[in-house]
Amino acid sequence: MNALVKVLVLCCFSIGAWANEVPLEKVNVATDAVTISRGAEDLMNDCHSCHTLKYIRYRDLVAFGIDKQKVDAWRGDQAMDSPLLGQFSDADAMQSFGIVPPDLSLMVKARDGGSSYVYSYLLAYHNSPDGVLENPVYPATKMPDALGIASATDAAQRTEIQGRARDIVSFLTWAADPHDAERKRLGYYVLGYLIVLTTLLYFVKNQIWGRLK
Amino acid sequence: MPGRIIKWIDQRFPLTSFVKHELTDYPTPRNLSYWWNFGFLAGVVLMLQVVTGIFLAMHYRADISLSFDSIQHIMREVNYGWLLRYMHATGASAFFFVIFVHMARTLYYGSYRAPRELLWWTGQGLLLLLMATAFMGYLLPWGQMSYWGATVITNLFQATPFFGDQIVIWLRGDYTVGDATLTRFFALHYLFPFIIIGAVVIHLVALHTVKSSNPSGIDLAAKDNIPFHPYFTIKDLYGLGWFLIVYSVFVFFLPDSLIEPANNIPANPMQTPNHIVPEWYFLPFYAILRSVPNLVGGVVAMGLSVMMFAFMPFLDRSRIPGGAHYRPIFKIQFYLFLLDMLVLGYVGYTPPTNQTLLIGQIATLCYFGSFLLIPFISRIEERWLVRRGLPPAVIALMESEALTIEQRRLKHRRRGEQA
Ligand code: HEC
Ligand code: HEM
Repeated sequence: MNALVKVLVLCCFSIGAWANEVPLEKVNVATDAVTISRGAEDLMNDCHSCHTLKYIRYRDLVAFGIDKQKVDAWRGDQAMDSPLLGQFSDADAMQSFGIVPPDLSLMVKARDGGSSYVYSYLLAYHNSPDGVLENPVYPATKMPDALGIASATDAAQRTEIQGRARDIVSFLTWAADPHDAERKRLGYYVLGYLIVLTTLLYFVKNQIWGRLK
Repeated sequence: MPGRIIKWIDQRFPLTSFVKHELTDYPTPRNLSYWWNFGFLAGVVLMLQVVTGIFLAMHYRADISLSFDSIQHIMREVNYGWLLRYMHATGASAFFFVIFVHMARTLYYGSYRAPRELLWWTGQGLLLLLMATAFMGYLLPWGQMSYWGATVITNLFQATPFFGDQIVIWLRGDYTVGDATLTRFFALHYLFPFIIIGAVVIHLVALHTVKSSNPSGIDLAAKDNIPFHPYFTIKDLYGLGWFLIVYSVFVFFLPDSLIEPANNIPANPMQTPNHIVPEWYFLPFYAILRSVPNLVGGVVAMGLSVMMFAFMPFLDRSRIPGGAHYRPIFKIQFYLFLLDMLVLGYVGYTPPTNQTLLIGQIATLCYFGSFLLIPFISRIEERWLVRRGLPPAVIALMESEALTIEQRRLKHRRRGEQA
């Protein structure tokens, strides 16, 4: 039956081989508070006008460690406990775009490719030779080029936009799973405990079975 | 004092003798390999699912306008809600993994043969209950895959002769999958695990009547049986340690690898996802469904593909003990069958193209072929093995078995003459 295990392992490796048709640009999301705070700020400036984050409340941002004064400025007269709702009504959005912009709180988990998908999508905008705005990652998209990457020709400016996209994606990754860091931290303790326990059980088992001989 | 209490109970209820007979002193073959750990593991996963499920149900809302949000509430606001949800979602996959290994072990060693047919059939019943439970649980988060998966699968009941449409409406409680479907799936998803627990008890009663098989396939003399406790309690616990390590890697580090991204989008009846895939554990059966171009044929083929296992005691009449252990051709067939399952899984996962359709159809034929050819192959194989010469221990067993069959026949004949 060992052959069975080998076959299974081989197949698990081969499944990863065919994922996405459009090659996505891999992004290494940051998990540090500074980048995520910066991403939150960029998102409030560049995306929040159209998109909601209904599973995130202003209080969550403060609890995460984003400067309270900034959060107060963002929320205006909304309560600390209110979620990050959009400024567009659905009807207005339909009028402007023909579609309601999707909520972003779970976006990173809701697409194949995850954070790399969102990152590539934001940066894939470019002008075709006849001056038409195109996005190969999502060709039919109705979203405008929010970060202005298509019109950025200057290398320094492009780098700045790429950095901003990465910050925003890092924030969105946090927003999709705020307990991610806590989960992994706990995971190391759990695994450590289980490995010690299993090792001990192994010795006890050998000792008990040793009586049989 | 505790001694007196136990004595008091024992005079009124067979507590000590039950524990002794069924647990501590239960005779178990000493040569069981680690493949025999998986039954115990299935029991543990069942308990994990029940406990995490009950706590999830305290925060979950079965209402199409609230379900998706209530899952996010669990993931974000409930204390350790993310742990409950990830343990439960990962646990479903772990359950199927453990059950599939458990079944593969049984197939490999031929443990479904006499006298263990009933044990095998109760296991088949458990597989069906598990599939139903997981299918209904998958609707509860009310994501895109939940909705469209349930729509596709309930639609299959249209294949029922005469009442097809009515049955579909009866199952859904509405013309489309909706609130009525969600609430009934929740009620049944809560109920079924307890039916499973009952079925597990029956499974274990059957097991304790016929006792465990073992890798040699030969019924061992009493001297080769050892008491379950402490030998197998510790071996099961050690195996559990390994299981929990792998399970924890998924729960804590890869929890989303088992959740389809589209299920993080709320269900939207107006928008079909471009590619509807079931959970990985249903993929081979889904591939068989799609391989048959006609709805009724596909449904029958899929139903049969799950039920084929129940026919194994009839299909495999080989008297060579030890399953694939002593049977080289059966062994090859076993591995080809596993390979075929993987091919079917792959076909079920990819969007259908002409090429995968063809591969799927060939794999479907191989799937049924590998069951239906068993009677012929096992007879030829048995004859060949006998001619080649079996290990003496096997010969001794076969002779004693042939003797019992002969005696049984005699008894029947005598009874026939009396009547
Ligand atoms: C002017 C309004 C507007 C702004 C500003 C905007 N978006 Fe969008 N966004 C949209 C619309 C409209 C859609 C729907 C596109 C579609 O599905 O055709 C969308 C869709 C998306 C999607 C989903 C794409 C998919 O695969 O369905 C993502 C991710 C996204 N936006 C991220 C962002 C981010 C990040 C920002 C800030 C940098 C941003 N958007 C700024 C209007 C906007
Ligand atoms: C046989 C054991 C069980 C299996 C195989 C199983 C399987 C599943 C599956 C596959 C899901 C969807 C998970 C997801 O994608 O989020 C689910 C959800 C759910 N189950 Fe179970 N389940 C079992 C037992 C139970 C029990 C006993 C209860 C309650 C008493 C329960 C309550 C729930 C609830 C409330 C949800 C929705 C929350 C969620 O989706 O995470 N389950 N189950």
